[in-house]
Amino acid sequence: MRWQKSDVDKYVSAKEYIDTLIIPLIDFQMDQDLENNAFQNEVLTILSNELEKELTGRIMLAPSYYYIKTFDKDQEIVRLNHWVENVKKQPFKHIFLLSFDPAWKKSEQALDASFVWIPKIQSGDIGSKEMQHTIREQVKQIGELIRSYW
Amino acid sequence: MSDKKQQVSRRQFLNYTLTGVGGFMAAGLLVSPLRMAIDPVLKDSASGELVNVGISVDDITDVPTRIDWTVEQVDGWYKSEPSRSAWVYKDGNGDIVALSPICTHLGCVVSWEGSDAHPDHFYCPCHDGLYTKDGVNVPGTPPLAPLPTFEQEIRDGMLFLGNTIDREGA
Repeated sequence: MRWQKSDVDKYVSAKEYIDTLIIPLIDFQMDQDLENNAFQNEVLTILSNELEKELTGRIMLAPSYYYIKTFDKDQEIVRLNHWVENVKKQPFKHIFLLSFDPAWKKSEQALDASFVWIPKIQSGDIGSKEMQHTIREQVKQIGELIRSYW
Repeated sequence: MSDKKQQVSRRQFLNYTLTGVGGFMAAGLLVSPLRMAIDPVLKDSASGELVNVGISVDDITDVPTRIDWTVEQVDGWYKSEPSRSAWVYKDGNGDIVALSPICTHLGCVVSWEGSDAHPDHFYCPCHDGLYTKDGVNVPGTPPLAPLPTFEQEIRDGMLFLGNTIDREGA
């Protein structure tokens, strides 16, 4: 399910079946590395969408959480935990945070949700067959990880 | 007298010429808007088209295999190439069966023998939905309808698939 009206309507009528929420964490920063930053944003968005497609009947894909990379992580954690606390009331039993940024991993204990670190895809052509294949492989593995929690 | 009637005066001649030329110009101006107005009618619908999914009939076995392909789709301004998937196999009579992988319960993607506990079935990982090989839902599991099939055709030994066809519940 996506965060759009038609899907949310479906969610409301089938709430007991949808117990998993996914929040992509995407860093945004205008520094020298603009291109790479935009590329990572694109890849993680596509990856989350594909994951949602694969397991659409049990997961809800939340809007992406954007943050400034160099900003104090402790403050971000407080804010992110507010998100988690809010959605848990629905209730969502499993909440997964997806990110390429290993910085979160260190503070994983402080997060109220399961953090999934995905190794970064450094560069490439987003439309190419190889990229589609890589993303599909990753989606498959993340899907398996999520299913092991169910 | 009759000769005189046949005569075209200078004024009449100019009138005819101007009307003629003006008429042509007006017609010229009208053609493009008219063409635009009826354009949607002339276009063939893209959604109903059968698409070559890139598998030859000889390569299809009696074990369901997942195939992926893309179709071109236009939604208003937005042009996209959504990917489609199907599970294809040959049944006992050698006929090709193409099933949609979308679970009829809440839309997850099912897979053939996706669970070790249920061999010879399509399995939905989200809520343990089960379908037999012909795509019919197993009663007592969440799905209430069989997996849809595809419109299909074989051209030059290649499999072409079109829209999905919903089936009645078991």
